[in-house]
Amino acid sequence: MSTMAEDGFASHKRDPVKSSVGGVASQKRRQHAVAVRKERRESLVRAKRLCRVGSSGDDADTPLNNAMMVDEEESVLDAQAAAAVEELKSAVANQGKGAMQKVVGALRELRRVLSRTEFPPIEAALEAGAMPLLVHCLAFGSPDEQLLEAAWCLTNIAAGKPEETKALVPALPLLIAHLGEKSSSPVAEQCAWALGNVAGEGEELRNVLLSQGVLLPLARMMLPSKGSTVRTAAWALSNLIKGPDPKAATNLIRVDGILDAITRHLRKADEELATEVAWITVYLSALSNLATAMLVKSNVHELLLHRLATSTSLQLLIPLLRSLGNLVAGDSQTTSAIFMPGQEITGKCDNKYNIIGVLTKCLKSEHRVLKKEAAWVLSNVAAGSVEHKQLIYKSEAVIPLLLHLLSTAAFDVRKEVAYTIGNLCVAAASEQDSGRLSLILDHLVFLVEKGCLPGFIDLIRSADTEAAKLGLQFMEMVLRGMPNGEGPKLVEREDGIEAMERFQFHENEDLRNMANGLVDRYFGEDYGLDR
Amino acid sequence: MAMMVLDVDPKADSGFPCWNPVRRRFAPESPFFESGNIERELLAKQIALDLGEEEKHQLWRLLDDDCKDLFCPIVGCRARLTSLENFENHYNSQHAAACSVCYKVYPTSRLLSIHISEAHDSFFQAKVARGYPMYECLVEGCGLKFKSYKSRQRHLVDKHNFPTSYDFFKNKAAHHPSKKAREKKIHRKQAATTHKHEEDEEEEGTTSQKMDVEGEASVDSLTSALSNLTTGSTPSSVSFGRRNPRGLTFVPRSVHQRNNKKPEDSTPPP
Repeated sequence: MSTMAEDGFASHKRDPVKSSVGGVASQKRRQHAVAVRKERRESLVRAKRLCRVGSSGDDADTPLNNAMMVDEEESVLDAQAAAAVEELKSAVANQGKGAMQKVVGALRELRRVLSRTEFPPIEAALEAGAMPLLVHCLAFGSPDEQLLEAAWCLTNIAAGKPEETKALVPALPLLIAHLGEKSSSPVAEQCAWALGNVAGEGEELRNVLLSQGVLLPLARMMLPSKGSTVRTAAWALSNLIKGPDPKAATNLIRVDGILDAITRHLRKADEELATEVAWITVYLSALSNLATAMLVKSNVHELLLHRLATSTSLQLLIPLLRSLGNLVAGDSQTTSAIFMPGQEITGKCDNKYNIIGVLTKCLKSEHRVLKKEAAWVLSNVAAGSVEHKQLIYKSEAVIPLLLHLLSTAAFDVRKEVAYTIGNLCVAAASEQDSGRLSLILDHLVFLVEKGCLPGFIDLIRSADTEAAKLGLQFMEMVLRGMPNGEGPKLVEREDGIEAMERFQFHENEDLRNMANGLVDRYFGEDYGLDR
Repeated sequence: MAMMVLDVDPKADSGFPCWNPVRRRFAPESPFFESGNIERELLAKQIALDLGEEEKHQLWRLLDDDCKDLFCPIVGCRARLTSLENFENHYNSQHAAACSVCYKVYPTSRLLSIHISEAHDSFFQAKVARGYPMYECLVEGCGLKFKSYKSRQRHLVDKHNFPTSYDFFKNKAAHHPSKKAREKKIHRKQAATTHKHEEDEEEEGTTSQKMDVEGEASVDSLTSALSNLTTGSTPSSVSFGRRNPRGLTFVPRSVHQRNNKKPEDSTPPP
């Protein structure tokens, strides 16, 4: 029986060898894990979606858990992919009886291999020669099952890395063709999904698809009132029209029945479908003036406001809010149409269905994106007419909320809130006044008294040039506009002078000049002498 | 991007670009919308992949850390910032060297030490009075020294293209010292009989600055440390471990808001 010491000694002797072997392996695992994590993160934010469960629900493979893959699993899948492709190859070559069944069987096996995990063995499949086979399987007249399985394989291949998506180019015209009204619904939907992934890859592929005529058949798939096909088509369309070229957006709104379908879905559809349609309106309102005009004419903004007021789904709220924002940020004609004069202004300010109420709700949300984009929209409202500014100013809920956010929220939210507050304090240059800006003293005095100045001074200290400029500009209004020469005292009290002095060493010349100009003008030699 | 039109308001004759409220529009692919776009994809896949809340937060943190292209804006720094929220930390640790006497803050230790010599050192002033060139050129590596503040200023403008309006060491602390400096001053006035020390700034035409030098226990250690000062050294001894008064910004904002009312300031007499 060995003593403890001996044991300890023995194991101590053994350990170095063990740990060095373990060390290399664990380091490799860690590196692999980091790479997988990075890839995972990228795949999660990519605009492409894997299809892992069939729309019919049956024949669903139990997907492996989503834990990070280890080397061994990966190579097993690669081998399976290669094997499945080989099987498909021979099935396609086979001319005898039951050939068709064999092809479908082989396709199904390949599809399963490509749907099992988050990172399908796409490269292995392509290297084994999957693409020409899959294109072959999309031939006209093929049985639905074959088309479905082939399209499913292509969907998941397209969900991978850019070069993998690009591999689908030979298959595109066929996929588009199978969107036709004679195709069975699941087949059309699966093809739409694959095309959506291709469109999500980038502008180049989008243009290819558009030139091949994808828009019309895909748009038609959106016309029915419900079904998963409608939702998939809407999603694919949103990827197709996202630009930056506005042509696709403009062509989409011209499709017969589309405008009606969009408004119908925004009004009545379930939240999942409404979400995809809302993304379509995001791009329409951002890119196409024609679409914007048509949407406003159909009172889409009312629908947006209503949904925004009643929904609680973050997924839906984001595109609704952004669509509204795009409309408000548009030309003044559009904006005046949204603010129906009379109704909005004389009505109760805190009505939850009007724009201020809706934006207040979003500002109160816990989600940073909603707060930021709501503040952006509000800042554009505040950049409007004096009546619009008063709408905001008079709202009991909004002002305290803005002040609170200015001092406590995340940076990007604070910046937008700063725009809002500043816009409330000054009226835009009008042609009559020979381009002069006039301070709205009531608003400025009130907001400063409520303590907004420290928030702006904080922005002056930020590393972000735009934010620093905002802070300095607001400070200038305070210094110039506060009555009884109170401005400089207030600024000093909040350490504004020190904040401005930082700019002596700042690399941005404009900011340096602005800061120095203010210090020289308001805190020069005479400061403090007239006390 | 926001477009702030240059103000043509005759009142703002200095050319200051006043706040002009304009609507801001962004293209769909603008970085402005990036976080919302990412949220869209994460949410869509959340259901399919059972992403837990914790995992989503982790992902957000990873994405936030990808703060590319954000650099410190202080001239010559070039440090990459990990986030805007961290800028304050970076600034205070790297760029804020605070004078322990007057609490004025400088972006480099070198400038701080020059300031201390010129503003708080009676030996410095004695040498100046005897005609020695004591005023160093502010540009590191130049090495030239001048007999007066003004001649150094001229040198900066002529040889180093500094703007004429630039006055690095215009001692604004004299006219409106920081809150902390004022509070300290009040305290000192009550604690000991003060002895006014005149700072030589006549050439500038500014009113002279009065600084309490004696009655300050640390002055002796300060002056002995000063005689050992050389350009470029890190005078960590000078700051005496006192924190930058702006350290207050580290306080969580909600707390900061509460202790905001400062006592009535008392600007020093001219």
